[in-house]
Amino acid sequence: MRRLRAASGWESVSPVSIGIATLPADADPYALRVAQSVAGWFRAAGLRVTVTPVAPEELYRRVLIRNDFDAFVGRLPARLREPDGLYALLHSRFGSEPGWQNPFGYANFDVDERLTEARAATGETRSEALAAVQHGVARTQPFSLVAFPDAVRAVRGDRFAGWTRRDYRSPLGYLALDASPERTDRAADAGAIDEPTETAAVTADEPSTLRVVVTDRRPTENLNPLAAEFRWSGVLTGLLYDRLGHETASGRVEPWLADGWEFERVDGRPRARVRLRDDLAWHDDEPVTAADVAFTYALLSDVTLGRTDEAAETATESEAAVAAPRFRGRSSLVADAEALDRLTVEIRFVDCTAEVATRALAVPVVPEHVWRGRTGSASVGGVDFGAASEALVTNNVPPVGSGPFAFGRNVPGDRLVLERDDDHFLADAAPADLPGDVDGLPPYERVDVTVVGADETAVSMVASGDADVTGTAVGAETIPRIGRSEPVDLVVGRSASPYVVGYNARRPPLTNPRFRNTLGHLLDRRALVDDVFEGYAWPAASPLAGTDLVPPDLRFEDGHPVTPFLGSDGTVDAAAARETFREAGYEYDDGTLVERD
Amino acid sequence: MGLATVLAQLAAVVVALHLLALATVVGRDGLAGAPGRVRANLRRVAPTLGLLVVVLAVNGVVRDVGVEISWLIGVNVTGAIHALEGGLVARLQSVAAPPLTAFFSAVYVFGYAFLVTFPVVAYLACEDDRPIRTLLVAYAINYALGLVCYVLFISYGPRNVTPEAVRSLLYTNWPQAQLLTGRVNRNTNVFPSLHTSLSVTVALVARRYRDIFPRWYPAAVALAASIAVSTMYLGIHWATDVVGGAALAAVAVAVGVTAAEAAAESGPALGDSPTGVVDRVAAWIRR
Repeated sequence: MRRLRAASGWESVSPVSIGIATLPADADPYALRVAQSVAGWFRAAGLRVTVTPVAPEELYRRVLIRNDFDAFVGRLPARLREPDGLYALLHSRFGSEPGWQNPFGYANFDVDERLTEARAATGETRSEALAAVQHGVARTQPFSLVAFPDAVRAVRGDRFAGWTRRDYRSPLGYLALDASPERTDRAADAGAIDEPTETAAVTADEPSTLRVVVTDRRPTENLNPLAAEFRWSGVLTGLLYDRLGHETASGRVEPWLADGWEFERVDGRPRARVRLRDDLAWHDDEPVTAADVAFTYALLSDVTLGRTDEAAETATESEAAVAAPRFRGRSSLVADAEALDRLTVEIRFVDCTAEVATRALAVPVVPEHVWRGRTGSASVGGVDFGAASEALVTNNVPPVGSGPFAFGRNVPGDRLVLERDDDHFLADAAPADLPGDVDGLPPYERVDVTVVGADETAVSMVASGDADVTGTAVGAETIPRIGRSEPVDLVVGRSASPYVVGYNARRPPLTNPRFRNTLGHLLDRRALVDDVFEGYAWPAASPLAGTDLVPPDLRFEDGHPVTPFLGSDGTVDAAAARETFREAGYEYDDGTLVERD
Repeated sequence: MGLATVLAQLAAVVVALHLLALATVVGRDGLAGAPGRVRANLRRVAPTLGLLVVVLAVNGVVRDVGVEISWLIGVNVTGAIHALEGGLVARLQSVAAPPLTAFFSAVYVFGYAFLVTFPVVAYLACEDDRPIRTLLVAYAINYALGLVCYVLFISYGPRNVTPEAVRSLLYTNWPQAQLLTGRVNRNTNVFPSLHTSLSVTVALVARRYRDIFPRWYPAAVALAASIAVSTMYLGIHWATDVVGGAALAAVAVAVGVTAAEAAAESGPALGDSPTGVVDRVAAWIRR
């Protein structure tokens, strides 16, 4: 019996297998090819790997909401231009929350401390803290950064002007478009001749509609600004819902719905008084008030509002609090918000600098009179789904926002039409007060979003004059098609949203940072950039690449500075890879990597 | 050049092919007195036609909902199919050349639309009502079983699984085609291939009743084979889907033949009362 007890401690080994979930080629031009290459390299090192394409909504539901994945290949959202974006992405306090906050379940004491430090520090201290975070991440690989892709778009310069150097992942990019000068000239000429011609020009092809063709059907089905699995850049909900301030290309947040704000420090923490513009209205004609703003922050920090009634005007400390899965990094900066009068709201922040606190103002403001009724638990056919609040589950169609565009109509999976709101403050705001290049309401009255199934189709719609812009970035393989078409211009911008292989650090053996580090060594980022991205991407070692916050020893030059590729020219050196895994404490059984159960 | 253009092209080509086929397959003699026979046949197969319409209508409604249900309860068999056949489709594509791509794209869109509609017209115009009944029942079975499979299995086609090896030739060659196929299909529904199953159904029915239109049989077989190959050549379907589609077609035609023979045996006074198992079901649905 003693022998049995002694022997039972020694359990058998089982092969290490990793399932990589990713987007199908229709939904993303690169993700699946990256996943297949990565799977090949992992297999060369003796792992068992499967690659499963999953539709976007389902992939994000699995990764962000249910955490039901081993690894995924996809993109991180573009909140990383500003270093505080890393806080939500990596701090272990968010490990159990749904959404883009720490979907990896990553927990690293050192990184946590440095992230917190960076929020409240300035100057040298902050740079050092951020450098330490980047080093920690590069070494422990909660995700393996692949590359920052170029955002490739086909646009028609003959209908609208100002396409270049715009950020189409922000509504500001679209709002700053101008009518094409050629066209304005022509319209003016036509008007000069006689009146009938002018009316004819208006009905014929006056660019009153901005026609956007996308390959992502989700916005036609769901317009809930809080639903993490349905939102990507949030550009369409950004046209529907105004924010207090908008993040500009420089990374600064500038007043938008707010007239302005003043920061002061109270008890060592920032406090802001934010004044709204006068005469703001929701699309259902109710006034936008400071109470809506205070409600929004309460809702973001707890979508159940403590499951209570009027008493829960501000965020509660209730244990059952369920934070909204989007804007979590920003909402976590806010301690509470209170309406002082109809147009002034006072926001108290947690310990951070005023500069960081300003980020919290870039969240969409939602109307209290619509959303207060959505704080109860969601039910489907009478069955309650406890944790999920109606606010997270609702499709929110039709949405009631206060943005420059109001909901027109939608055909799920097919089309979405937004109509310009001519009562919006942009109509008579002074351009100097507006962020970015926005100088008033855009020249088009309508945004017409059409869904197609493939990048080639999207480009050909622009080429044939059926659309003005590919709203979702298209793959590099369509560039020859864009080049061949005379009236179509190619717009290439560097995206701030990198491709990564994300690991679920809650599941062994991915719990082991040494194991993940070795996986990081198996990625030939240079080969991926050359083969998969056809050169339209930059390999990187830090999620902050492209900012001036990357320490010199984390720059990606000849290879990855921390986890260089174990092999050359896209071929893994199997012997070296196996040796590294053995050093990390793993064994091989007949060429297959095994772990003890 | 939007969807309307593609539809107009499709309609023009299919009508032209129909006229050509009517002239060569049915012929002048076959067309003499055709309107009367079409009316008689329509009366006799009305219940079966009703069944098909019901199945198509259900299909239309359930297809979108089915995808949602599929993600809840369906099995993602993409990996299993890929593991089963590996690079078969990629090897098939290694012979790709622009003329071949043009041919298979045309076959996939125009040829298919023609192949599944022409026999309906031709068989309506012939004396015997068994071919049209077989065909309509088989179509209904194809759609019904196909829909069940689509709900049970989530599967992406090769172009969506191994894009490094398999190109999406149809959409690269003719992007607007996606506007049309996107209406009809969802990219998670590839097992089995309905393109294959309906084409093979037509070919099997053409074989069974080859005495009626001797010229149609070889044409239908050739076209059906081209369509089956095109689904793989264009990177849309796996070989597994094609095999599955052919099996589905065999089942559907067997049921169709049984139903048609049962209806024919139940006496010459056809049409007044719905007969056959399927017709009774149809009658029950219509009630």
